[in-house]
Amino acid sequence: MLMRRIAYRSSMFVLAIALVVALWEGYKVVGPQDGGKLFGVSILPRANNTAMPHVWTMLSRYGRPEVRGSDTKIWSVVLSGTLFSLRLSLVGFFLGTTIGVGLAVLMSRFKVVQRGLLPYLVMSQTVPLIALAPLVVSWGGKLEIGSFIWPRWLSASILGTFLAFFPIAVGTLRGLASAPAAAVELMDSYAASWRQTLFKLRFPAAVPFMVPAFKLGASGAVVGVVVAEISTGLKGGIGRLIIEYAREATGDPAKVFTAVFGAAALGITMSGLVALSDVLLMRNRPKETSA
Amino acid sequence: MSALEVVGTSKIFNQGSPKQVDALVDVNLTVNPGEFVSLIGPSGCGKSTLLRLIANLLEPTSGSVSVNKKTAAQARLDQDYGMAFQQAGLFDWRTVSKNIELPLELKGWDKAKREARAKEMLELVKLPEFADLYPWQLSGGMQQRIAIARALAAHPPLLLMDEPFGALDEMTREYMQGELLRICGETSTTVVFVTHSIPEAVYLSNRVVVMSPRPGRITSVIEVNLGSKRNEDTRAADGFFRSITAVREALRGTHADHAAANAVRGVEDR
Repeated sequence: MLMRRIAYRSSMFVLAIALVVALWEGYKVVGPQDGGKLFGVSILPRANNTAMPHVWTMLSRYGRPEVRGSDTKIWSVVLSGTLFSLRLSLVGFFLGTTIGVGLAVLMSRFKVVQRGLLPYLVMSQTVPLIALAPLVVSWGGKLEIGSFIWPRWLSASILGTFLAFFPIAVGTLRGLASAPAAAVELMDSYAASWRQTLFKLRFPAAVPFMVPAFKLGASGAVVGVVVAEISTGLKGGIGRLIIEYAREATGDPAKVFTAVFGAAALGITMSGLVALSDVLLMRNRPKETSA
Repeated sequence: MSALEVVGTSKIFNQGSPKQVDALVDVNLTVNPGEFVSLIGPSGCGKSTLLRLIANLLEPTSGSVSVNKKTAAQARLDQDYGMAFQQAGLFDWRTVSKNIELPLELKGWDKAKREARAKEMLELVKLPEFADLYPWQLSGGMQQRIAIARALAAHPPLLLMDEPFGALDEMTREYMQGELLRICGETSTTVVFVTHSIPEAVYLSNRVVVMSPRPGRITSVIEVNLGSKRNEDTRAADGFFRSITAVREALRGTHADHAAANAVRGVEDR
């Protein structure tokens, strides 16, 4: 049953990729080489090989060196950049989960906290990430707690946390509140403590709400980290590779796509990890509630 | 000594506001240990409110409730009663066996003891082979039997039941009634049982408390003298029908009130 669901999901994934490839190559056949203009505004993207390289050109680029004459093939550079960003995203996601779930528990425990805090959480998400990135880096640089020295990469993770915690906090809060009144009454009749009710009733009842929230949080962490890498110029990650390769877009158009795919793979890996936990956590639940 | 004592208890919702509802007014009820008492009456008569006051899930506006000489609050803390509702309310993420173990977990029992008791309870409700299934894999009737097993798991001295058999089919219902009597007899459990069914109230009870709405109050208490040994033959006995008639007549009195006051709709307490 479990294996069948995993097999089904992965075959749908392959099908989706094939569809995108078909659309891309199909557009290259029918699309205008120099883009389409409608009332003087460019609407249709250029279908030429500089703007839209063939899929096989992009894929074969992975097998060639990063820079002319170098021994390092580009796939290993992209791979290590992706892994670097994955580590940062995981740290950001982990922190975001801790903060998000912690806030949700606090808000569900004290209605005053919920009323006071929730508007600020919503507002926090309206601050543009790009504006925040240099600030976090400079604050981090000034931080020194004992022997702990703030590493530069941690700033990128914190920006991932910043995007990850919000959906997790809101989703978990809704989930915790979703326990039926009758079940809460039952726990009351057993004189169960708040803590017992939280762990034996509210959290299990929240799982169907938390899993989709974690999916949003995971992709948020990736976006935060990549944007932070780009805007602070942090070396080693996939974000930095994207800006570096984008500069060579005219001469070597396929190159930037190798890094873009790396970023996409990063996002897919992160949400894949959450999807796996979804399958595991929801396997014994009635099918109607599985999200 | 009484197992349960309700003295001069009232429950007013939204006191002082135009939406004030006199859910219960000056209720007095004493239940002896091992006694089976049913609460019966039309909707809005406060029978579920009374049950929740006894369970300390609601605080009375005035008067007092004591369970085993303790305050209702202390009795709740000590898990001196078990409760079964009309909705089974089982936890989807726990197996049948784990659902039954829930109150025992909260009491801090160790695993082996919990599992043994859950097994015993499953035998009791005749669903031993379903221990490792999940509630949503069972029929509604089976779920309700598991909920009753859960309420009885800790062998509480007092059992509060809010129409627990309302969702069961007639055959299962009569079977569960017989089982409930057997279990309560063996464990000397005191039961307060809310029901809509006159035959059910009469078959199960030593006393049937008839209640009336607007304001919620006890209008009469009918003794049922069918002895302590009741079985399927009891359902055909003359005394059974006499008691049913007596309860029905007492309820008819409340129904006139109900009709007269129909213009003002009271709150449903469920």
